[in-house]
Amino acid sequence: MKEILFKVVDAAEQKFGAEYIEVRAQKLYKTMVTLEEGRVEAVKQGIENGAALRVLVKGTWGFASVGTLDVKTLTDAVSDACKMAEAASSRRKAPIKLAQTKAFEDMVVLKPRKDPSKIPAEDKIDTALAVNDVVLGYDKRVRSCTINYLDLKGTNFFINNEGAYIEEGKLYIWLGVGAIAKQGDVFTFSREAVGTTSGYEVFDVETPEKVGQMTAKRAVEQLRAKPPKGGTFPAVLGPKVVGTFVHEAFGHLAEADLTLSGSVLSDKLGKKVGSNVVTFYDDGTIKGAFGSFKYDDEGVPAQKTLLVKDGVVVGLMHNRETAHQFNAKPTGNARAEDFRVEPIIRMRNTFIEPKDCSFEELVEDIKFGYYLKSLRGGQANLDGTFQVGIQEAYEIVNSELGEPVRNASISGNTLETLLRVDAVGKEFELWPGVCGKGQSAFICDGGAHTRVKEVLIGGSA
Amino acid sequence: MVALKLEEMLSLAEKAVNIAVKKGAGEAEAFVFQGLNSSVGIERGQIARTSLTIERGLGARIIINKAIGFSYTNVLESDDVVEDTVLRALGSAEASKPDKDWHGLPASKPVASVNGSFDHRIEELQSEDLVDIASAMLDAAEKKDKRAFPIEGGAGTACMSVAIANSNGVAVVDCGTMIECSLATIGREGGEVTPECFEFNFERRYDINPEWVGEEAARLAVSALKAKKIENKSVSVIFTQFALQQLLYFTLINAVKADYVQRNQSALKNKIGKKVASENVTVYDDGLLDGGIRTWKFDGEGVPQQRTLVLEKGVLRNFIYDNYTAKKEGKESTGNGARAGYLSTPNVDSTNFHILPGNKSAEGLISEVGEGLLVYSVQGAHSSNPASGEFSVVAAPAWKIEKGEITHAVKGAMLVGNTFQVLTDVSGLGDNERKIGQLVAPWVLVGNVKVIGK
Repeated sequence: MKEILFKVVDAAEQKFGAEYIEVRAQKLYKTMVTLEEGRVEAVKQGIENGAALRVLVKGTWGFASVGTLDVKTLTDAVSDACKMAEAASSRRKAPIKLAQTKAFEDMVVLKPRKDPSKIPAEDKIDTALAVNDVVLGYDKRVRSCTINYLDLKGTNFFINNEGAYIEEGKLYIWLGVGAIAKQGDVFTFSREAVGTTSGYEVFDVETPEKVGQMTAKRAVEQLRAKPPKGGTFPAVLGPKVVGTFVHEAFGHLAEADLTLSGSVLSDKLGKKVGSNVVTFYDDGTIKGAFGSFKYDDEGVPAQKTLLVKDGVVVGLMHNRETAHQFNAKPTGNARAEDFRVEPIIRMRNTFIEPKDCSFEELVEDIKFGYYLKSLRGGQANLDGTFQVGIQEAYEIVNSELGEPVRNASISGNTLETLLRVDAVGKEFELWPGVCGKGQSAFICDGGAHTRVKEVLIGGSA
Repeated sequence: MVALKLEEMLSLAEKAVNIAVKKGAGEAEAFVFQGLNSSVGIERGQIARTSLTIERGLGARIIINKAIGFSYTNVLESDDVVEDTVLRALGSAEASKPDKDWHGLPASKPVASVNGSFDHRIEELQSEDLVDIASAMLDAAEKKDKRAFPIEGGAGTACMSVAIANSNGVAVVDCGTMIECSLATIGREGGEVTPECFEFNFERRYDINPEWVGEEAARLAVSALKAKKIENKSVSVIFTQFALQQLLYFTLINAVKADYVQRNQSALKNKIGKKVASENVTVYDDGLLDGGIRTWKFDGEGVPQQRTLVLEKGVLRNFIYDNYTAKKEGKESTGNGARAGYLSTPNVDSTNFHILPGNKSAEGLISEVGEGLLVYSVQGAHSSNPASGEFSVVAAPAWKIEKGEITHAVKGAMLVGNTFQVLTDVSGLGDNERKIGQLVAPWVLVGNVKVIGK
């Protein structure tokens, strides 16, 4: 493999005029199982092998992707990429440049305790079926249950013309569960997921019993929930919700490409944007976490990146291109979903740092407010407007948890909201997810329970 | 990489089916896909990157005793690849469990005849042409207003071909083209930043207007400046096609899919023949729409696409089916077996979801609103309750309408409601139909939407 990739790099540099060339090759094997109410829709297995070629010619990116590892085809593709980049470079005002980075030579071999590629498909079906049985057996009102299991295993190869050569094993396991409960005209929906980069042993901890119960219980409890009052209220955000808030409302704005595009953080580096208890990290080094890896897709090592310290913006997430523009160091956030696409700036495991409040302390001053425990999804805009949809919430009445509330969502302006964070809890949790930014990326987010003095709650009709 | 010809793709598919049957498959189907994509990308006001991708592969679905196995590969070079893929699919079927509702792959039928889905001029475009399109769009935006900043966008083409064969005699091929140009902008003035504004053309024929896209993206961004907060109140809302697409994608479009209905996940179950929307609303799932983004001769299972009446003057007439869900009810597939390329098995999806237009101009619709909002896009629609249709989203960008005229941009306005209630409250439809992905619709005026602004 190394030899083939070297040849392509040489040709790009010497024959086709590339200032920079990188090749990412991928060999990947996936297994998927979908279950609907216990019916096995199909057992699916597939191979995805291919290469991504990226060049800089006259300061403009050229990219090509092909589903082969044949040297002749790769050389032709890199030639086309160089020609096309050159054609586009005529309209570019300032050339793109990359921050310097150490060229690593490394081989990262994974040693999962239970290797999913050695576990028969029958066992994976059985695990999914066990979850299904717990969900549908929980209560008659649970009407449907969808389970999507995925595992993928393979190797990514990275080479560039600066001397880097990395082979890194890849392993991901994901099990997503969705349940729907119905009573009269009321539908409730609940979902949970397990995600890891360690091994199939994850199901020894996240047992079908535990995952199934959590999903079904929520769907059923929400049946008796009422819509929230719309308006501004104090709120305690659970780790899942605050994690999504940190990811969506702040994290995306701190991806340096979006910061450069004019996100509300573009003039905030070094400035105070949140209260003193607000400290955010994006960390690619947490062992086994769904957003962890050793090297990013530009060959830069993953690291623990401090984004906000005590309310002050101290860092952004960079690739080599934005790092050069900010005169900063690359942070190892350049990720590509696969060989079909270019690496872009993505988050890894993003969270708010825990402090020292107990849950009781967080709710003790709240006469009326909301406890937002679990989310359905979130989205942010460059102007700092965020929205997080909530799938599980409760009223807080006179410092105690009250009635369940359904179909709530929170919204507001990120910077205003960060200033209103007035206390953070102590227990740390991290939850897996899939983030979409044109491409999908496996991530985690989380933190500890966080209290916000007031936030806009959008209720049901 | 040399592109495969249609007949080569079909012969690969037929080869896979033959091998499967020889190796003991009860039934077999092979799907071969090839896509050639070319694009020029804009980042932060400049052309930044170019891309050429060749994506192709084969997916084999095999049934043994009602148990379904599937396998795919994106490597098609060597001879053993087809056989290896078939063997893996056989192994998958053996590992799987029988499905009592499986009643066989589709039978062979003549493919549909379609217009405007393939344009050889798109195939012949060069990278320089795409650079010109992207530049024209950027120049137009810059010329329109300096306060608008193009953050990202680009121009691209795709040429796609599909071949499907199965052991019931299906052997079909089709090819199609697409071209798009798009620009996302934000407005910036005195420390204020607007939400992202977006405009695009996306067509099957070589029929795009990059200057218009650039100008319009800039105009929107500037008009979203000086946004004000809004009071909590129920008002009339005009949803443009973007906002409508976002709201319907996770709710109504799912609710008419036969699998959602059969699995008790649709609020429209048992409502055939009943009034579920305003009588202004008539919807077709139109797989044959001239130039439609999802117009093809056949669906992902080789079943001819068709035009299916979904809502007729607010009355629910039909659900949409793929082969599996149709046979489960003893019906015929409506040609809605969609496929995410060669990577997966088919699932039910709409083709072109066509809400028929009304006869009011955009200005006419606005003039009917005493107090309300014009909502261009919404944030967070994916967090709607997919089963009940309840949503709680942020309208951005959006504009206030007072006494029949647009007065100013609004910020931070949440809309809460239920998509199915929204459909009942539709009081007017524009004549300004356009395609946003699979949705083809005009502007829609809806009375009485709850807005939470403070």
